[in-house]
Amino acid sequence: MKQKKVFRITLFILLAAFLIIAPQVFKSGYILNALIDATRWTVFALAFDLIAGQVGQVSLGQSVFLGLGAYMTSLVGSRFGFGWFGSILFAAVTMAVLSLFVGVAFFRIRHVTFAIGTLGFAIIAQMVVNSAVDITGGSLCSLGVKRPLLSIPFTDIALKITKPFQYYYLLLPVAALLFLLIWAVNRSRTGRAFIAVREDEIRAAAIGINPLRYKLIAFVLSGFVIGALGSFQAQYLSVVCPSDMGLEITNTLMIMVFVGGVGKMRGVIIGAVIFSVLPRFLEVGGEKAIAPQLQQMVYGLILILVTLYMPNGLDGVISSLEKKGKKSKTPHSETVL
Amino acid sequence: MSFSLTTLMEQVLNGLTLGSLYALVTLGLVLTFSVFNVVNFAHGDLFMVSGYTLYLLLNFTQFPYWFIVILVILLTGVYSVIMERLTINPILDKSFRAHIIATLGLSIIIQNAAVWFFTTDPRHVPTIYTSQIVTLFGMRASVQRWIVLAVTVLVFIALQWFVRYTKLGKTMRAVSQNQTVSKLLGIDTHRISIITFAIGGAITGLAAALVSPLFNVYPHMGSMLTLKALAAIIMGGMGQVNGAIYASFIIGMIESLFGGYVSLAYKDVAAFVFFIAVLFLRPNGLFGKRIGL
Repeated sequence: MKQKKVFRITLFILLAAFLIIAPQVFKSGYILNALIDATRWTVFALAFDLIAGQVGQVSLGQSVFLGLGAYMTSLVGSRFGFGWFGSILFAAVTMAVLSLFVGVAFFRIRHVTFAIGTLGFAIIAQMVVNSAVDITGGSLCSLGVKRPLLSIPFTDIALKITKPFQYYYLLLPVAALLFLLIWAVNRSRTGRAFIAVREDEIRAAAIGINPLRYKLIAFVLSGFVIGALGSFQAQYLSVVCPSDMGLEITNTLMIMVFVGGVGKMRGVIIGAVIFSVLPRFLEVGGEKAIAPQLQQMVYGLILILVTLYMPNGLDGVISSLEKKGKKSKTPHSETVL
Repeated sequence: MSFSLTTLMEQVLNGLTLGSLYALVTLGLVLTFSVFNVVNFAHGDLFMVSGYTLYLLLNFTQFPYWFIVILVILLTGVYSVIMERLTINPILDKSFRAHIIATLGLSIIIQNAAVWFFTTDPRHVPTIYTSQIVTLFGMRASVQRWIVLAVTVLVFIALQWFVRYTKLGKTMRAVSQNQTVSKLLGIDTHRISIITFAIGGAITGLAAALVSPLFNVYPHMGSMLTLKALAAIIMGGMGQVNGAIYASFIIGMIESLFGGYVSLAYKDVAAFVFFIAVLFLRPNGLFGKRIGL
């Protein structure tokens, strides 16, 4: 057991070191953008998994918080000069508040109905953003997000962030903080309460865990994290479109989380990295080698196949390989799907 | 828009047509939902596929409309059974999460395949009846609209009769109450599953064949239809066929009246806000008994 812990810590340090020095090794913007995407999507998928995996309710509306977080930055943060970090914080807090309201509304229903309600929320939110042309610019997108300006303390120098590696170093601490937040919550008493709620709400309530309360905690935390990511995305792409909260985003999230292994942080990270980097290999010289429809169709097929043949995702496969290596006879951990 | 009785009647009729569309789509979905407790997120896409089937048959064959309608009904029944065999049947025993993911996956495949083949351009599928106007009960509307309204009522009555009085209908109700016990009593649940999906598909095909000439057909129409049908099922009180049908008409009416008198762009939003209000005030649905979900 101790050996495993040492192995884990070494792996973690190596990974962190790799992430920190990566821009020094890979100078190409192509790889750096891939790294930025992988980091963003990993945190995003973990935030989605807080609800889908930890408390066990599938929310199909999380893309809304990404899109609205981005709009918050474009319409409020940039306009009133909140600065890059102020904008991220503002988007995160507003999305946390919004998800509290949404959560109170939709956690009155459970399971399938919850998924339906949140899907409706996503479709309607996108429709409103598309129709409110005066405010959001509609399908012409909201332009004019300011490039982040990093002022160095005790000097008058302000660094304008424009290059990929600068963005990367801006994202890395934010992503690390959000990651640690999710990790700490999942490992804490609260995280164990999440699992209790997921496994059996009635039993959880019987031992003094209020299911609604913990579902709301997970939902608000998820909204907070996703709002922050949305704000970063707005400043990184400097344009916000209604498609930033489209259903394709939820599809991508689902495939990352369910292929990786729902409810398992290791699996979710693996899934997120694979499915944020993989599509880039399908591009040749900036052009998509295959049609986006075909890519989505393959995603759909993978989703069906995973539910049928790999309910624990890649994480389950890895776990069973580990167990085989040790020849232990402990049965496989619980199936979430 | 000035307020007059004629425009009000027009909006009401429009609401009834929309309601009929939603009711027929919901009927197909609620059938499979109440018997097997599987929510099929690809149900609206079935409607879309059968809308395109109608488009192809109308444009590339010389058959009369009534014959095409029958063909579309039969074909959609077949599509539905294929869907049941390939995706739904293997996941019947799994958790609700597996149902959501697998059927959403199916929905993604169907929608993107439709974009692939037909592009995202909306297609018109006019029939000879869409341009013929008649006045009935003081309301002027196309023959197609009157057909839709009449057929919806007929289908609703026929299904009620079927579920209540035929042996097959009784078997379906038995399976919906308890699958395990039904199996013990010698009911072949696989056969019932196929039949249920065939009937659900046929009703959806009928809806597509009759209603899509009034609206357009486009690849992503299914998501909204699925959503509204599911909202109607929830509002009607989970698995209660009658409640879901009433709720479908309520949704259609709200959309039509809001679209006509307040704002066309936000008509779907209005219906959805109503849905959320229902969730808040009556989580068990408008017509539901107090049951846990």
